[in-house]
Amino acid sequence: MNLWLLGPEVVLVLLGLSLLMMDGVVPTARRRLLGHASAAVVAVLCLYALSGHAGLPEPGYAFGRMFVLDGLAVFFKALFLCAGVFVLLLAADMGDRLGSGVTEYFVLTLFALAGMLLAASANNFAVMYVALELITVAFYVLTSYQRSRVASLEAGVKYLILGALSSAFMVYGIALCFGASGTMQFDELAAKSAELAENRLFQVGMLLVLGGLAFKVAVFPFQIWAPDVYEGSPAPTTAFLAIGSKAAGVVLLVRLLGGVIPELGLKWEMLLMVVAAVSILFGSLSAIPQRSLKRLMGYSSIANGGFVVLGLAAMSKAGSAAVLFYLAGYLFTVLTAFLVVAVVVERLGTDDFSALAGLHQRSPLLAGALAISMVSLAGVPPLVGFFGKFLVLKALVEQGTALPSYFVLGGIAIIGVVISFWYYFGVVRAIYWNQGPEETSPVVVPPVIRMALVGGVLGILFLGLFPGSVWDAAVAAVALLKF
Amino acid sequence: MQPETLAWIILALPLLSAAGITLFTRRNAGLSAAVSVTAVAAAFVASVLLVLSYRGLHIPAGECLIASVNWLNVGGLSVELGLRLDSLSNVMLLGVTGVGLMIHIYSCGYMAGDPSYARFFASLSLFMFSMLGIVLASNFVMMFVFWELVGVSSYLLIGFWFERPAAADAAKKAFLTNRIGDFGFLLGIIAVWASLGTVDFLDLQRALAADPQALGAFASLAGVLVFMGAMGKSAQFPLHVWLPDAMEGPTPVSALIHAATMVAAGVYMLARSFFLFELAPAWPESLGFLSGISALDVIAWTGGITSLMAALMAVQQSDIKRILAYSTLSQLGYMVMAVGCARPEAGMYHLVTHAFFKALLFLGAGSVIHALHHEQDIWKMGGLRSRLPVTYWTFLVGTLALCGVPPFSGFYSKDGILAAAETRPVLFGLALVVAALTTFYMFRLVLVALRGEPRDAAASHAHESPSVMLWPLRFLAIASVFAGFWGIDTALKRGLGMAGASGHEDHGGFLAGVFEPFGHAPLAAFLGLFATGIGFAVAWTLYGSHPVRDPLPERLGPLARWMRDKFYFDEAYAWLIRCTHDALAAVADWVDRWIVAGMFVRGLAGATDVAGRALRLVLTGNLQTYAFLAAAGMVVALWIVVL
Repeated sequence: MNLWLLGPEVVLVLLGLSLLMMDGVVPTARRRLLGHASAAVVAVLCLYALSGHAGLPEPGYAFGRMFVLDGLAVFFKALFLCAGVFVLLLAADMGDRLGSGVTEYFVLTLFALAGMLLAASANNFAVMYVALELITVAFYVLTSYQRSRVASLEAGVKYLILGALSSAFMVYGIALCFGASGTMQFDELAAKSAELAENRLFQVGMLLVLGGLAFKVAVFPFQIWAPDVYEGSPAPTTAFLAIGSKAAGVVLLVRLLGGVIPELGLKWEMLLMVVAAVSILFGSLSAIPQRSLKRLMGYSSIANGGFVVLGLAAMSKAGSAAVLFYLAGYLFTVLTAFLVVAVVVERLGTDDFSALAGLHQRSPLLAGALAISMVSLAGVPPLVGFFGKFLVLKALVEQGTALPSYFVLGGIAIIGVVISFWYYFGVVRAIYWNQGPEETSPVVVPPVIRMALVGGVLGILFLGLFPGSVWDAAVAAVALLKF
Repeated sequence: MQPETLAWIILALPLLSAAGITLFTRRNAGLSAAVSVTAVAAAFVASVLLVLSYRGLHIPAGECLIASVNWLNVGGLSVELGLRLDSLSNVMLLGVTGVGLMIHIYSCGYMAGDPSYARFFASLSLFMFSMLGIVLASNFVMMFVFWELVGVSSYLLIGFWFERPAAADAAKKAFLTNRIGDFGFLLGIIAVWASLGTVDFLDLQRALAADPQALGAFASLAGVLVFMGAMGKSAQFPLHVWLPDAMEGPTPVSALIHAATMVAAGVYMLARSFFLFELAPAWPESLGFLSGISALDVIAWTGGITSLMAALMAVQQSDIKRILAYSTLSQLGYMVMAVGCARPEAGMYHLVTHAFFKALLFLGAGSVIHALHHEQDIWKMGGLRSRLPVTYWTFLVGTLALCGVPPFSGFYSKDGILAAAETRPVLFGLALVVAALTTFYMFRLVLVALRGEPRDAAASHAHESPSVMLWPLRFLAIASVFAGFWGIDTALKRGLGMAGASGHEDHGGFLAGVFEPFGHAPLAAFLGLFATGIGFAVAWTLYGSHPVRDPLPERLGPLARWMRDKFYFDEAYAWLIRCTHDALAAVADWVDRWIVAGMFVRGLAGATDVAGRALRLVLTGNLQTYAFLAAAGMVVALWIVVL
């Protein structure tokens, strides 16, 4: 029993439980410190995960091979934990506005984080489902946390119902897969994948499972919840949804399509392409008339989900590695953006574009950080967003020699990128060039958030200028896939 | 200390000064000036130490010390950030830092009271850094980088009084005109790199020595393209138009940049890359009509035409700084012509002596302008000999040196150029005419502006400038007199590997040195002196009686007007640019209006916008709709995949 393989998950859960107990002891005014403390613990875990990557020659298994710790899992764990640090800091800063007890918010975030780490290591349909439910159930509460705000409640209900729908699809799909193959174990499925890929019943089951994952990644046809929920939820939740929950879906997609049944993936290449193309176009086009930053990020999240599926659709190691790199870059970009959004919403009361006018005078740091993350999302070199898109498209074009539709897909993706310039630079324009209101008082940014912002911007710049280290890690992480 | 370390220190000092002033001492004018002057003084001392510690100035050709670090390595292009030390760069180091030091000191007085005193010294330091970078560069790419930096700092300094539209325009004009030349320069560098695979001067020289055909059909083209860079920076015809306008900058800037150093960079670059021009003429097939003409011919004739044209223009100017500016143009033409006549050491020699006496003349003019409260018209001056004695005498020394009167330094360097041109009779004659014209316009300036009776109230109340401005004048005057005897020419000959370098050791004593030119090139020396005499005689006849107005226009008629209006180059360029500009604008407008805006932007934008709005209708916010759409999507996917 290799319990130490589950070290981070165990620590997270224990941390959450102890926070719950300390909630009674710590005075209300100082509960914010709990958030900072748990962020520090998560940061240590993140460093542990990053260092563990080097010392992991062979995949480790636990719980009768239901739990695996391989390169892919470690890469995503580091990603989730890094996101967790930012989200906890943000939540600690917004503590006063969350309404209900702030400690529970930290605890739920930690539990969701534990679910994500488990999802990264899932090697069995049951573990996968439990991990995803742990995430989703925590998010049901996190989305509707501001009970006094109707928008937040509405977001929670929508997420709950549509999440339940997707869970239903998934659990039905798992049942069909089990019925067709007689096992829930990923490596046993992988052993007879060639034969299963021809099994009609298994195909249906697998498609339903993929549909459930598509809900997490927020891609077509399960993308539709994203804008409403993003807009209504508290900003830390939205940030966590945008990167954590999405990445949890992605790691399972990569594991299933790359490690378990690549045959089905190859069979459904066209389906993946359509999903990617529609998501990119839908996200990019719908974002254009938006005036709310959080809603805009919702649409942007759909388009970015499309890009992730695009990398998967390449069905190659390069494509999967590009997806991993893309997410790493997306992590810093989206978190930086949401840090700014959270502060803007809190200090200015709205996230409408009109509130951004004159921001560069009121807080150059916020304005600069938001502008850099928008420009990175748009994919302008030398920021990380460019490299993510570039690597995905490169993987795609490499496959184009085999199947010309990849070129078409690449073309659509580029059209999507061009359209996205429109709204990303719309934000930049609103910050720097729109006529500001009379209000010109400086916006105060708390020191912790300031540090987090600088960290995020440095991440965007560093990964953009020196993509080598993360790219090497991504390539190593997908080395065990079966392409 | 190692000479390499010293070289890096020399390069770094002005940069540190520029950064320090900009970041820390900007608000403290006096401290900023002190920082800047100290930096350039330290650079000068370091240069002297460097020359003393590293084999002096007499380093044989092909031997040099290179201190380098690897800078970038991209796609087969490997560029070192290298400093090259040989006699050529050592001479220039001393010249640039020495003259620079004088001008920095002078500026403390001249710019006193200017509200942007600190900014001036920061820009001056930046310029020194860029110029020293050109001098020390060991390869084309590095030289090009500093070349552009020089362009930038020159822009900053010409436009120093940017609130005056004329200054802002002049800065723009200088920058843009230089960019044309730099574009050619860059193409030339690319051509060289594409054929030989390296941009390092030493490697290039070795490669071309091993195989003179290595550049193939590009030999002459590459040479002419590289020369284009020099054409811009050294203001050679037809890119000469920016230099006179650049006089809108403060006078010390005119002295430092537009007389002594920056404009000399072009000549220095030609000397540095002279191996490129020695190749036999070879042109690509499409330029076959040029066969037989070598790059050196192009250079020699460009220089000759520039020097004659500029000298003619100088004859009819009435702004004291503009006369000197055209004189600079004319002398630069001389230097370029010398390089074109395959005697780069003569051009470089003149460059160094010219740096001394032209800086002196400009600073003297600045002193006059300062005394007359920024009056620059020579017809409003006069009678300054008794009122500004130091300025007058030092100015006279500069004039004599420029005119090439022995034993002033200008005589020896100009003699070298005339001797170089002896083999080409037309150019030789042209150079003699220029020599006569030079004496004429310089004595016109001296006789009208400095001697006679004051023509204006300001001139009669003039006071001598403060001593912080006079000492640089004295030092530069000494240099202008004696620079002919310091062995600069032999050092340069040795450094550039020219014939006759080893035989001449100049040990014949002082007097032998004075009369040396009459011995080895008597024709050039005597004819040169004769031309100077003619120029002086004509000037004395016309202006010796101190007329109130210029008598020359009446005698020359329309020619004088042409000279005064600079042969209408500016107007012609303006017309040419306007025509091409209008034509291009019309085409661009049509394309923009009908194709870009009409078809792409409006069409695409409209389509995208409509699509975006239509898609928004899908998101009703109604949960049932969402659930239905998701389920429907799933069903469709199942249907496609399974059936």
